[in-house]
Amino acid sequence: MSGPAKSTFADRLLGRVRLRGPVVLVAPILAIVFAGLITSIVLLITGDPPLDTLLLMVEYGTRPRSIVLTLNSATYYYLSALAVAIGFRMNLFNIGVDGQYRLAALVAAAVGGAVTLPAPLHVALIIFVAMVVGAGWASIAGLLKVRRGVSEVISTIMLNAIATALGAWLLNKDRFAVEVSGSNNIGTKPIGASGQVPGLELIPGTTSKVFGLIILAIAMGILYHVLINKTRFGFDLRATGRSESAAVASGVNVKRMVLIAMMLSGAMAGLVGMPQLLGASYSYSLDFPTGLGFIGIAIALLGRNNPVGIAFGALLWAFLDTSSNILQLHEISPDIVQIMQGTIVLSVIVAYELVHRYQISAGQRRVSRQLASATPTQAEGASA
Amino acid sequence: MANRDVSLSVWQGHVHAIVGENGAGKSTLMKILYGMQRPDEGEIRVNGTAVTFRTPGDAIAAGIGMVHQHFMLADNLTVLENVVLGSEPRKGGVALDFGAARKKIIQISDSYGLGLDPDVTVEDLGVGARQRVEILKVLYRGARILILDEPTAVLVPHEVEELFANLRELVREGLTIIFISHKLDEVLSVADAITVIRRGTTVASVVPKDVTARQLAELMVGSELPSPETRESTVTDVVAVSVRGLSVQSPEGRSIVDGVDFDIRKGEVLGIAGVEGNGQAELVEAVMGMRVAGGEIRLGEHDISAWPTLRRREAGIGYIPEDRHRQGLLLEAPLWENRILGHQTRRPNVRGFWIDRAGARKDTQRIVEEYDVRTPGIDVDASALSGGNQQKLIIGREMSGDPVFLIASHPTRGVDVGAQAAIWDHLRAARAAGLAVLLISADLDELIGLSDTLKVLLRGRIVADVDPRNVTPEQLGSAMTGAGEAA
Amino acid sequence: MLQNRFGKLAAAALAGSMLMGAAACGGSEEPATSATAAAPSDGASSAAPAAAGAKVGLAYDIGGRGDQSFNDAAAAGLDKAKSELGLAETKELEAGNGETEAAKEERLRLLADGGYNPIIAIGFAYSGSLKKVAAEFPDIKFAIVDDADATGPNISNLLFAEHEGSFLVGAAAALKSKKGHVGFIGGVQVPLINKFEAGFAAGAKAVKADIKIESKYLSQPPDFTGFADPAKGKTAAEGMFDAGADVVYQAAGGSGSGVFEAAKAANGLAIGVDSDQAKTAAADLQGVIMTSMLKKVDVAVFDFLKSFADNTVKAGTTSYDLKAGGVDYSTTGGQVDDIKAKLDEFKQKIISGEITVPDKTS
Repeated sequence: MSGPAKSTFADRLLGRVRLRGPVVLVAPILAIVFAGLITSIVLLITGDPPLDTLLLMVEYGTRPRSIVLTLNSATYYYLSALAVAIGFRMNLFNIGVDGQYRLAALVAAAVGGAVTLPAPLHVALIIFVAMVVGAGWASIAGLLKVRRGVSEVISTIMLNAIATALGAWLLNKDRFAVEVSGSNNIGTKPIGASGQVPGLELIPGTTSKVFGLIILAIAMGILYHVLINKTRFGFDLRATGRSESAAVASGVNVKRMVLIAMMLSGAMAGLVGMPQLLGASYSYSLDFPTGLGFIGIAIALLGRNNPVGIAFGALLWAFLDTSSNILQLHEISPDIVQIMQGTIVLSVIVAYELVHRYQISAGQRRVSRQLASATPTQAEGASA
Repeated sequence: MANRDVSLSVWQGHVHAIVGENGAGKSTLMKILYGMQRPDEGEIRVNGTAVTFRTPGDAIAAGIGMVHQHFMLADNLTVLENVVLGSEPRKGGVALDFGAARKKIIQISDSYGLGLDPDVTVEDLGVGARQRVEILKVLYRGARILILDEPTAVLVPHEVEELFANLRELVREGLTIIFISHKLDEVLSVADAITVIRRGTTVASVVPKDVTARQLAELMVGSELPSPETRESTVTDVVAVSVRGLSVQSPEGRSIVDGVDFDIRKGEVLGIAGVEGNGQAELVEAVMGMRVAGGEIRLGEHDISAWPTLRRREAGIGYIPEDRHRQGLLLEAPLWENRILGHQTRRPNVRGFWIDRAGARKDTQRIVEEYDVRTPGIDVDASALSGGNQQKLIIGREMSGDPVFLIASHPTRGVDVGAQAAIWDHLRAARAAGLAVLLISADLDELIGLSDTLKVLLRGRIVADVDPRNVTPEQLGSAMTGAGEAA
Repeated sequence: MLQNRFGKLAAAALAGSMLMGAAACGGSEEPATSATAAAPSDGASSAAPAAAGAKVGLAYDIGGRGDQSFNDAAAAGLDKAKSELGLAETKELEAGNGETEAAKEERLRLLADGGYNPIIAIGFAYSGSLKKVAAEFPDIKFAIVDDADATGPNISNLLFAEHEGSFLVGAAAALKSKKGHVGFIGGVQVPLINKFEAGFAAGAKAVKADIKIESKYLSQPPDFTGFADPAKGKTAAEGMFDAGADVVYQAAGGSGSGVFEAAKAANGLAIGVDSDQAKTAAADLQGVIMTSMLKKVDVAVFDFLKSFADNTVKAGTTSYDLKAGGVDYSTTGGQVDDIKAKLDEFKQKIISGEITVPDKTS
């Protein structure tokens, strides 16, 4: 009765199961090649030359200004995927990152616009407010799950809709918003210079600047890694994700963990809007980017909840997004990029699953081979 | 390779038992026979024809069916729906023809004496009946050769008898049964032929009347065997654990555990006998603080009734859970991480807020050596180990950190003879070291052999105190079913 | 390639001037690549190779060409200019849902880099990005519709008095309503659409002070699906007709077709928006559209392109109000012919200043 793979497909999908060795890299590379093939077929059908199109995207995507755009998008994609990944690691599907970051950015923008503080404090306050709002909003789903057994999938989806409505209500002249004179836009009062985070001139050859908060994203990646893999809390979180029943038996207070994990995920989600808010728009207005939370889910899946994997996923996603800009100029539908992104996610999932199955059987064969060759004497000794 | 040079000839109309330690290669052999794994070499012949199985579907087509140890049934579907699931009868191409299926199920059930009603939902069935549904499932798909993987592991004695009666019925009708087990008494009573596997190869083929259980076990292990008897008493006067009026209720308000009292002294093993489902699991979970319970639990001088699980563990309760896959291990985590589980607040696993990777790994290595966990290393996933070795790892873990009270729930369930002996040794050692041990088991020999005191649990109540020194398994068995007072 | 060439020069000032160099460089390369790409799409570019012909870049808001509304109106202006002014080449790009300002900026910059001049941005969402890009390309003329916030020496702001036009259709609705009960459906609750509602309500009340006016917005920002969800529009309109309204005015972009369907099913009347929808809507729905509030984005776009061709581009605000003929009501189908006199009377009063139409709901 030696246990074969007892993990569920969901476990593997969400990366709660470890993969090892070079195959881990082979899987995503195969998936990207496969996605390229599918995209090429679609391009052929629509009558565009596939190779030229892809080369066009690569050529445009590697221009200095495009690299800056890619890095900037990747910054918030990365934070969003980390927020999702925290939940995934313990079996929580936080679909609500989207609502959490929008609400957090709105409130943080309003607070940031209302006060003036010395520079580092002002930025810190805005970020703190965003994290608190994100965590608070997520905690509603956590509490509902812990107290009432409501699936967080359902509650977070609903909370997204409520966050939208609440945001619309708050973004009103009677409340958080100020009118931008002469414009049909409406937004919070712009955050003063002390609350803005200057960009970094990382990429030579362009004046465009990389979000200063890219450093925050990197720090969060490291923090995520350390917290999940090196701490007691992280162990409890992973144990709960791998087997809730085993975690309960080991003394983990699963309800408390659900709540804390949900709030951590929400706090991370609160950061998603910060690079854009503090590095570019300085105000939460009608054209604040939306949907980043959903992209985060795809990227967390791509990166298998691994901080480095997610970084690659975010960069790839952002690169595709950026390079799609050039397509319209050449009369090619930019939707091709969405097809490519979707195909990549699907093929990565399939590829990982295949790799996982291969590894399980290979692992069991390896164990039995080693035992068969190494244990005769030990076996005799043991049972004597 | 898990199997080398396995040769096995099974006669039609036989119950052919395959016995061997866990990790001996029984499961691999069965997977090959059922098409879940492909052999690197060799061939399989069914009725004289060489066959190649790429998938279980091929095996089913060749008339081979598998009844897994862990049931693969959907609880909220009826027997009928479970049986037809995956091979739904079609009427005119699309519509499901349940009428024909029902007829066929009733016919199979009647002709082999399975006694199943096709319209009962599986969740309303007992363990024995569920197993018969599994058997019905493979018969329905036309199997003439049935592989049963440790079918008695989950059954109580009278259910085992019923199963054996069913098996004899099937054999009489010309079916062939391959029966995997390590419960040697059962094997001897039901099998027509026995093949012994050790370390991946067949070491003997015997006929039951020629061997005793002990000889068979020695063939399996390849050496002489210990027995579960504890020798001299180590019981002291110091009460280590005291439980008064422990009660657990189901969410519907039904009493599952009802006013249970007991004391366990240092160096004493208290055995709890009972047919499964009489509150043993809930009793254990209540003592562990995993379940809301009334009553008082004292550990030494502390009243721990209100403590959370973690604090109880920290106070020195070791816990060998009944379902090691669900409660004892993180199957997809390496052994050293499993070492931390349940001990994630204590050295050498952690240093304050941080996981002490080096310390945990070093101590895992110690457990692997001291408890003879057979593994190529501490970085393999727990799922790669055989059941016995998983259990040894758990015992080693629970015995570290100076426990004063050990709860052993079915410690040798699904474990091979060699590991069973080792586990008994460890339990005896724990007792000798002055631990109080609470032993829950369905194996009556184990209970009688290891316990200093025995209590019988029936419908959540302690209904009898039994002296293990002068009780037979039969007497204990009848006390468990409430049939009469034990001696 | 550019990166290699300029890789070592990182100073900001230098980079700034380089960018211009890069733009010029891109400009000189552009015709070769884009000519091949554009050629199959339409033959217009080859029709007017005159040196005077402009390369026009147009950046649409979400929906793009084919939204049967706002963006389409702009496209109509462009098409008219193409045939009448002989444009050398046109390039139309459209926004994606939920995109960042950086993406909009990049879109405009790509057009500027590609040598397109003038460049027209459709919709207030381009405000911030246009301001930035226009500053980087002082030699290129930019225009933006519906926004006065982005200002600069090379930016023309094309604004509309939607409230004035809405006043007229509000009056028409009140005159045509038999039950004294009319409805307004806005796509997304943003200040711009509020202007439509305010004008509509004022117009209806000017005819009948105690008229019952129902208002509903299909979505709240940042959810902009209200401009592109006919099902939502239909549901909302059905609710209004069920509640007793018999004329419903929609300012909901692509969702408007749902409103027309509901009007048809309820034997009610609907009022279109932006374009003359009695002409552009599906044939079986045209009958329910008694009039449309015309927001002549096509006129504004055409005028701007014409002024560019004549070299008379005026930076700053151009106001397209009733007086300037930027907004109006349509008479297609003849359903408002009987009340035309009254409507034109209101029109004159607004033009003369006798009536001031509020641009905000109170």
